[in-house]
Amino acid sequence: MLKRVGWFTLLGVFFAVSSARAQPPAEASAQSPAQNDGIPVQNDLVRARCGSCHKSDDKGRMSRISYRRATPENWERTIKRMVTLNKVNLNPADARTILKYLSDHHGLAPEEERPIAFEAERRMIEYTYDKDKDTSDTCSSCHTMARVLSERRTKEEWELLVAMHRGYYPLVDNQPMNNGQGFRRTRAVQTEPGPDGRPPDNRHPMEKAIEHLTKALPLTTPDWSTWSAAMQTPKLAGRWAFTGTAAGKGAVYGTVAITADSSAADAFSTETRYTVARTGETVTRTGKALVYTGYQWRGRGAAPGATEPWREVLFIERDWKTMWGRWYTGSYDETGIDVTLVRLTTEPVLFGSSVTAVKTPSAKTAVKIFGANLPTTVKAEDIAFGQGVTVARIVSARPDELAIDVDVAANAPIGPRDVSIAGTVKPSALVVYDKIDGIKVLPQAGMARVGGNVFPKQLQQFEAVGMNNGPDGKPDTPDDVNLGLVNVKWSVEEYTATFGDDDLQFVGTLDQSGLFTPNVDGPNPKRSGNRNNVGDVWVVAEFVDNDPSTSSGSPRAESRGDAKPMPKMLRARAHLLVTVPLYMAWFHETGGTQ
Amino acid sequence: MTHLKPVNRKAVRVEKATERPDVVALQRTGLPQTPHFPIGCSLVFSPGWEADRTGGTAGLCQPVERDLFDCHIGCYWPAQVPDQLNHAPDWTAKCAAAQKDWRKIDLIFP
Repeated sequence: MLKRVGWFTLLGVFFAVSSARAQPPAEASAQSPAQNDGIPVQNDLVRARCGSCHKSDDKGRMSRISYRRATPENWERTIKRMVTLNKVNLNPADARTILKYLSDHHGLAPEEERPIAFEAERRMIEYTYDKDKDTSDTCSSCHTMARVLSERRTKEEWELLVAMHRGYYPLVDNQPMNNGQGFRRTRAVQTEPGPDGRPPDNRHPMEKAIEHLTKALPLTTPDWSTWSAAMQTPKLAGRWAFTGTAAGKGAVYGTVAITADSSAADAFSTETRYTVARTGETVTRTGKALVYTGYQWRGRGAAPGATEPWREVLFIERDWKTMWGRWYTGSYDETGIDVTLVRLTTEPVLFGSSVTAVKTPSAKTAVKIFGANLPTTVKAEDIAFGQGVTVARIVSARPDELAIDVDVAANAPIGPRDVSIAGTVKPSALVVYDKIDGIKVLPQAGMARVGGNVFPKQLQQFEAVGMNNGPDGKPDTPDDVNLGLVNVKWSVEEYTATFGDDDLQFVGTLDQSGLFTPNVDGPNPKRSGNRNNVGDVWVVAEFVDNDPSTSSGSPRAESRGDAKPMPKMLRARAHLLVTVPLYMAWFHETGGTQ
Repeated sequence: MTHLKPVNRKAVRVEKATERPDVVALQRTGLPQTPHFPIGCSLVFSPGWEADRTGGTAGLCQPVERDLFDCHIGCYWPAQVPDQLNHAPDWTAKCAAAQKDWRKIDLIFP
C-alpha cells in the first residue's frame, strides 16, 4: 500500500540532505531542540492509519505529524494528498475523524487564525505579506500566502516542506513567475555591499524563506500553548441574531436557531431565517456544522429543495457570544454573505433598517426596523432618530419587525443617525442626506472566469452606492456620506487595451441587477487567433436623479428659459477582468471539512 | 529581405540578426545552440495566470488551450493546471491536441 510513501520519503530526505549541503550546516536534526517540542499523538485511529509510515517515538510523537500545526483546510489537503499520491487507503469516516483530531490537537490558536480568516472564508482580496519579501515571492507565485500562514512547523519540518515542493514540482527551483526567481537564486552573485553597508545576501530565496518561516511561524508559540490548554467544546445552542451583507442585495437580517447535534459534542444543527432588508425577500435555510479547534465553525446549509448547499465558515469569539465569517456558494465560492451572529437573550435588540438613507425634506417614507424581542405595543414617541427626523405613524409592530413612516424636516442636519426603541439603540442605522452628489461602483476591480462548456463559470456581482459630499460639500473627503445601494442602469463599455479591441462583443453579459455572467470557455473561432472569450471591460452604472429639487439642469436648457430642469445623470464605472478557468479545484464541492 | 538594404547601423544589426536561424530543430546539430525552453509563450510574457503584468488580459497566452500542455508537462502552473509528474499523469490521454479536443479535458481535484 505504501510503496509510494517510501519513495516520497526517500526523495524528501534526498532533497533535505542536498539542500542542507547547500547551506551552512544545520543542527543535527534528530537531536535538535525543536524535536523536543513535538506534539504527542494520542488518537488510536491516527496511529493505526498513519503509523505504518509515520513512526512513533517513545513519547508518542509521530514523525512529521507531531512537528506541524495547521488549519482544518490544510490538514484536509495533506490527507487528500496522502490518498491521491501516496496511496493511503482511507474510508471517508476515518478521514473525517483523523481530520477532526489533527485540527483540534495540531491546530492554530484563534490569534494565529484571525489575520488569515479570509483564506477559509474564500474571499477574493488582495493581500500583501510585508514581513519578508523573499518568503512572499517564493510562496505566493503559485498559491496564496495565507496557505503558508495556515501552518506552524519546526525548522526541520519547514525544510521538508520545501523539499516536498522541489520533489513534486521540479521546475520551482527556477520558475521565474511574477518576476521572481524560483526557489534557487538565478540572478548573478552580488559582491557590492547593500545600501546599509552590510555584505550582500547571496543565499537562495528558499534558504531565506526557511529562515524566516522558522522564526515567524514556529511550532511552539505562547498563543497555542494557552489555547490548547484553555480550549473547550463550545456550547452554542440557542437563538442568535443574524446580520449580514450580500453583494448587490444589501443588508440581510434574521435569526439562527442553533441546536446541539447528537452525533458529536461539537456538532450543531441550524435553522436560519432572514430577510433581505431592501426587497423584503425571505430566505430559510437548514444546515449542519462542526466546530474545529474550539472556534472554527465549518458548516453546510441549504434552502429547502436546493441542490447546491452553501458553505458556512465562522470564527467563534472566545466569549461564545459572537461569531463572524462568510457563507458562500458558487463554483469558485464567489457568491456569498458576510455574516455576524450575536447570541440573543430576552432583551430587545435592533439589527438595522430597510432604508439606508432618508432625504431632506421628505414625508411619510416607509421604513422597516428589523430586530428581536421588540415591543409590540410601541408608540411613535418611543422611537427616535435624532434631530429633524420624526415618526409619522406606526404601521405595524412585530417582535422582529417594526413598520413605520418617517418625516424628515427641511433643516435636518445631514449625516448618520442612530435609531432607538425602548431603551435599545442601533448606531448609524440610516443616514439623512439632501442630495446624491455621486455614485460608486463596487467592487472597483472585479473578476469573472469563462465557463459553461467544460469548466464552470465564475460570476461577478457589482453594486452601485450613492454618495453625498457631506457637510464640507467636497467629494472624496472623510465626511462623505454613503447612502447605500441605489438602482442604476447597468452597461458594459470597451476598456481599450489593444488596437482593434473587440472584448465587448465576446466577454459576456451584465444584467440589470449588476450581475455579470461570462461567456463560454474554449477557443473562439470568431476571434482573431482563436482567442478565448476573455477580455477587459468597463462596467458602467448610470443613475438618473429625477428629483427636480436636486437636479442642476443643463445650462443649455436654462439659457433657453425652459422652466423644467433636465434630470441629473450620474455615472460611475469599475474594471472587470474576464479571464481563463482554473483546471484544478482544490476543494471539491461535495467534499470539504464539513 | 532581398529588396531592402540597411541604411543605418541599427538596420545592419537587424539584418545580421535575421541571418541566424532563430528556430533550432532539436535533431540538427552543428548549428549554434541557443537555449531551447520546451514551454510555450509563458516565458515570453511571463504573465500571471489570471492577468498579465499590466493587470489586463492582452498579454495572456491565448487561447489558453494552446499553452495548456506545456503548463501540464512542465508543471509550470502547479496550482492552476494539473501536473503531469504526479497529480494527473494521464490528463491529456483523451486529448491529442488541446486546441481541438479541449472539451475532453477534465477538472482535477488533487
